[in-house]
Amino acid sequence: MQDIEKMLNKKDRPVQASKCGGIAYIICILGIPGGLFFVREDKQCSQETELIFLSSPLSPKRSVTYTSPMATTASATRATLSSLSSLSLSLSLHSTPRLSFLSTAKLTRLPKLTLSTVLVRASESDKPNGIVFDDFNNPDEDAAVFDPPTPPEDYTPPPSFDELPMETEDEIAAAYEELYGPAYAGVSVLGNDVYVMDSKAKKTSAFGKTKKEKVKDGFEERVVQVRRVTKVVKGGKQLKFRAIVVVGDKKGQVGVGVAKAKEVIAAVQKSAVDARRNIVTVPMTKYLTFPHRSDGDFGAAKVMLRPASPGTGVIAGGAVRIVLEMAGVENALGKQLGSNNALNNARATVVAVQKMKQWREVSRERGIPMEELWK
Amino acid sequence: MARRYWNIHLEEMMEAGIHFGHGTRKWNPRMAPYISAKHKGIHITNLTRTARFLSEACDLVFDAASRGKQFLIVGTKNKAADLVARAAIRARCHYVNQKWLGGMLTNWSTTETRLHKFRDLRTEQKGGRLDSLPKRDAAILKRQLSRLQTYLGGIKYMTRVPDIVIVVDQQEEYTALRECITLGIPTICLIDTNCDPDLADISIPANDDAIASIRLILNKLVFAICEGRSSYIRNP
Repeated sequence: MQDIEKMLNKKDRPVQASKCGGIAYIICILGIPGGLFFVREDKQCSQETELIFLSSPLSPKRSVTYTSPMATTASATRATLSSLSSLSLSLSLHSTPRLSFLSTAKLTRLPKLTLSTVLVRASESDKPNGIVFDDFNNPDEDAAVFDPPTPPEDYTPPPSFDELPMETEDEIAAAYEELYGPAYAGVSVLGNDVYVMDSKAKKTSAFGKTKKEKVKDGFEERVVQVRRVTKVVKGGKQLKFRAIVVVGDKKGQVGVGVAKAKEVIAAVQKSAVDARRNIVTVPMTKYLTFPHRSDGDFGAAKVMLRPASPGTGVIAGGAVRIVLEMAGVENALGKQLGSNNALNNARATVVAVQKMKQWREVSRERGIPMEELWK
Repeated sequence: MARRYWNIHLEEMMEAGIHFGHGTRKWNPRMAPYISAKHKGIHITNLTRTARFLSEACDLVFDAASRGKQFLIVGTKNKAADLVARAAIRARCHYVNQKWLGGMLTNWSTTETRLHKFRDLRTEQKGGRLDSLPKRDAAILKRQLSRLQTYLGGIKYMTRVPDIVIVVDQQEEYTALRECITLGIPTICLIDTNCDPDLADISIPANDDAIASIRLILNKLVFAICEGRSSYIRNP
């Protein structure tokens, strides 16, 4: 206590340190007229407050969770405000038996006494900093004007939905059924068939696996890799299969999908579904090759793609070859630099392909005719 | 989209308290173009912009309803739950009142399974077959039915994923908004000063805490939906 007194009195702020505990210090310090303590912006001052709060008898043995960003805020008022609020909060929240000597009366008095004065001063000092946003809005003046079209004659504002009389359930049900049919409500008021949604549900057949017919949307699937993966649990190893499938029509659309399941076929089907969900278009020229070189990376896999003259065929390894073949690209060169991981390489080719642009698009964007670009 | 008159008056919006935002400390800086002033530690939104956005939203909704699209209103705050239910029933739309179950739209096939179960339980209840079971089974089924009623009661007429979704509070219904974005469903959202205006397609800067403001905005939208529906019925 005495060293704190000395420290404070050094800065020509006469402070009387009483012996009734940490809070009392604060009351003494903050009750200074003229608000000298707040307006000062030097770092040392705010750091001192931190010191004072932390070295109060509350903190040393039990850590006050006191996190207030001191000494970096624009004005000390805000810092002290936040610190005060946080401190009062932390004090009130973490009241331990050690605090019993500090009666709650003091704790509640603290915010009222000092925060109000601080607030008054803060509002006064806020005027120069008061942010008015309207200055930013000047650029779009037209947005600031709201001119609705004129109402038609004898327009009466409709009643709000609260004021209308409550409709009976039957009426509501009838109205909904008119609009949507008796979808999943168990009862049908208008006499429609209640089980209309059943035909659209997926029926699980009674025996064996469901034979789903192949979805005919023109996409061909090719399996890149099937691996057996294990999850070790208390009882032993749980085996699953992870399938990576590339889906594509041979006209420029490809997608890569991964999925896991306990059976190989189920995993392949799931991953085909996943592949159909993220499909990408490959920009291709008339000779079924790329417009230009590109490289893409995904994880540690880096793939370089290069167009080739017609008759070359696809010269690329593993996953890259499958992706390019399913896209319908006939002539290309590709190289896997970086890792050999099949999934990441497939994804990297997709990334590389997405980065490519057609000559037509570029000339349109830049406003330069294509002949210029080819030079 | 033709612009129509929606009876939006700045005075009644001020009465409802639409222009109040949240506290100054909680704002999202992306809302800066829509905030006009700061007053007593609270941001005030620009009412002219709100009015414009609201009329645009009403136009969109009217257009969609006149083409026969399906709507979904999502509002789970306990203050707004009642309002949302009544508004949706008045407009004959689907609604989500209570907790928005994760994956309701993205995992539509599973939600459909639950809806099937709901329908079966309802038919059983109406058919009176619940009373012929032993007491414990009947109690279990009744409990399931009540749970399904609270969560899925508003969407029991939904046959497929909706076309437009109206969200009342962005912070509360963040999952719902995310799902709509992944599925590519156009959304209309009530945005407060602590929300992100770029997430939804049409974001209406308004107060999402006051019941009066939610009521007013829902009123306008519901009116627009009703008008659109009536024009759809007249000439499909």
